[in-house]
Amino acid sequence: MSTVTLDNAKVERQPLVSTDSWYEASARQRVEGLLDANSFVEFIGPEMREISPHLALFDLPEQFDDGMVVGLGRIDGAPVLVAAQEGRFMGGAFGEVHGAKLKGLLRAARDMASMPVLILFDTGGVRLQEANAGELAIAEIMRALMEARFAGVPVVGLVGGRSGCYGGGGLIAGSCSALAVSEQGRISVSGPEVIETNRGVEEFDSKDRALVWRTMGGKHRRLIGGAEVFADDTIESFRNAARYLIELAPAPTLDTLEAEQARLAQRIHDFGDCADALDIWRSLGASEPETIPALSYEAFVALADRLQEPRHDAR
Amino acid sequence: MTVWNSAQRLRDERIRAGAAYAQGKRVAKADATALLEAVIRPGDRVCLEGDNQKQADLLASALAAVDKNRIHDLHMVQSGVVLPEHLDLFELGIARRLDYAYSGPQSQRIAKLLFGGKIELGAVHTYLELFARYYVDLTPQVALIAAVSADREGNLYTGPNTEDTPAIVEATAFKDGIVIAQVNEIVDKLPRVDIPGDWVNFVIESGKPFYVEPLFTRDPGAITETQILTAMLAIKGIYAPYGVQRLNHGIGFNTAAIELLLPTYGERLGLKGKVASHWALNPHPTLIPAIESGWVQQIHSFGSEVGMDAYIQARPDVFFTGPDGSLRSNRAMSQTAGLYACDMFIGSTLQIDLHGNSSTVTADRVAGFGGAPNMGSDARGRRHPSQPWLLAGKEADPDSPAPLRRGRKLVVQIGETFGEKNAPMFVEQLDALKLASKLDLELAPVMVYGDDVTHIVTEEGIANLLLCRSNDEREHAIRGVAGYTDVGRARDKKLVQQLRERGVIRRPEDLGIDPLDADRRWLAARSIKDLVQWSGHLYAPPSKFRNW
Repeated sequence: MSTVTLDNAKVERQPLVSTDSWYEASARQRVEGLLDANSFVEFIGPEMREISPHLALFDLPEQFDDGMVVGLGRIDGAPVLVAAQEGRFMGGAFGEVHGAKLKGLLRAARDMASMPVLILFDTGGVRLQEANAGELAIAEIMRALMEARFAGVPVVGLVGGRSGCYGGGGLIAGSCSALAVSEQGRISVSGPEVIETNRGVEEFDSKDRALVWRTMGGKHRRLIGGAEVFADDTIESFRNAARYLIELAPAPTLDTLEAEQARLAQRIHDFGDCADALDIWRSLGASEPETIPALSYEAFVALADRLQEPRHDAR
Repeated sequence: MTVWNSAQRLRDERIRAGAAYAQGKRVAKADATALLEAVIRPGDRVCLEGDNQKQADLLASALAAVDKNRIHDLHMVQSGVVLPEHLDLFELGIARRLDYAYSGPQSQRIAKLLFGGKIELGAVHTYLELFARYYVDLTPQVALIAAVSADREGNLYTGPNTEDTPAIVEATAFKDGIVIAQVNEIVDKLPRVDIPGDWVNFVIESGKPFYVEPLFTRDPGAITETQILTAMLAIKGIYAPYGVQRLNHGIGFNTAAIELLLPTYGERLGLKGKVASHWALNPHPTLIPAIESGWVQQIHSFGSEVGMDAYIQARPDVFFTGPDGSLRSNRAMSQTAGLYACDMFIGSTLQIDLHGNSSTVTADRVAGFGGAPNMGSDARGRRHPSQPWLLAGKEADPDSPAPLRRGRKLVVQIGETFGEKNAPMFVEQLDALKLASKLDLELAPVMVYGDDVTHIVTEEGIANLLLCRSNDEREHAIRGVAGYTDVGRARDKKLVQQLRERGVIRRPEDLGIDPLDADRRWLAARSIKDLVQWSGHLYAPPSKFRNW
């Protein structure tokens, strides 16, 4: 077992509003704060103006980086490849160029097989205006991601942005070696509105935000094992989480895959009958599950570690 | 022989008829409709309590269930047309005529019923105006109201959401009308008496809280950088130079941004204690950081806000609370305060025309007014001086001798040149005019009249209409802050430049504001959860505003 420890306890908290909130930061601010100062070198930066070939058809504004920032930087001097989605451009959705940049980065990681990859998710899924290209991109990214992992490259996902991690983003996150998520982060495939539209408001009331968060939010994902680390909503905390998970990321051996299969089967067995996240938390042993959403970062981490140790032998 | 007490006799008859369903004043929930059928007569003026916040929801359903062969042609005189039942009454033929003030969620359906002739419209009022008419020519014969609790004698505790109840009950009870209250529960001892029992004829225990809409909660997470820029302009360009201490805010995101910038940007400008200390305002959650930072001395409220009650109770130096400790709101009093005792109203709108008239009406919606036209108008009866009032009066009329010069209330419209769904805020002609001609109304529903507006704030800058000396100047002051809208693009650049040199138009750079500084980091709270933390966990936001 590794001796790496997660030292978020050292992070000083601003009393009220933190100035380096991950949730509030743009993709570029996150990359800048995550990496060693001045270490980031961007690939296919906005100056190259690789814009979406589709959006103009719909009279929609383009962005010179197509909402995806990819490049190379360092954490504590060690090189890492980084991809960050800009959740404020088209909800961070995957289009042709957006997806190709991430796929290319993952293929480079596979070929070099020497640097870990960090994916800073912030996405509602595939861009409807370029749905076919976007769906293809998701599939290609998942393949490239698995190939990189088989080549021994840890691929760590960080989720805590405004748009959450939905649709194809949720599938890619599920393929990662490990995930860190903050309270604000949400991980799922179908989003709340999609579920409500298809199954009715009785099934899922997308306007009940407390329900959305306790079903898809960071605390729930950490408690049911969907994410290994629960991060505070600061860039510093995500940096610590990234450092920690790069070290711990399991290689995708047959043993790992079987362990993951067993873990998921056990999860369905244990919680399959629960109607609400509160029931799951109760059956995990939380004596007052309704108080969990309001718990502070520190109190929640302590509780989560007591209820369910994060596992590092699966994925 | 002239009879002088026919109304009293009729009242006694109604009480006798209703008593068949009552034990003392108490009527079972199941008998609510039967009670209403016994008490109400065809053609009655009925006030069914409801406004933009609280709703007498049980009584609304009970009234919608009466036999229309017995009860019909009612004249509804009520603040809000908000619940579906309010309009069902007209569709079912139970009610025919309507005088009201506000209709948020039902604005589209009310328009349809007006077009279809199902509703005979008296007028759309402001709250205060409608309350005033309760005492002159629209006095209710029956009032159906909502309270938190009652005791055996029918004394009522209306609690934090007291709102319209005192104004309605006073008019009804003292002009021989019948007052029927739905209460959440009947108790032995009330926390305090808001309405004396001898003004109340019947009480129905509903067993659950009456509905309250959290209308004044704005999520700081949704505030944009453009809105922050308009907030910076307003604080530095209006609050500071006029020294506005007594004010009312509208409910939009622009004013929420101002509230959240007071403890940060306002503090940086050294304005604490000099502006925004006394308010006529609902308990806006976004004001919590300013309250906690010591900016706010006193707030009187129209109503309460869902989730704010425990916080208010813990800050009695700021809010108006009863001997029991809970908030006592009062819409009529707060509207009066907003009209006469505030030096400024600032709020967002949907459309502004070239005269400065503004409206929140679109061609197929009749949203009503609520309180904004009252807050956003100069009180011609005002006689007490104050620095902002005198200064605004002087800007408008520099030549009159000061002792004879009226002051002016600052009436500020704030928004982005392109609003929601990229609809331009500035238009050549208000949709309200189209609606008026479609419905054959004598008056177009104008929220704030142009001659009351003193300033317009957009991300392009501030237009000070007090300094305009002709209609042409006024029009170009408005075009000058209308940005890339059609109205803005039709401006005469030279004239706008002249207005800017005279300070009629002030751009961000004229005020020393760099638009790139308009950053969400200025917000004292950037999420609902931050507000909860600021409140010391006393604020309990409703589920739909939580992202945890």
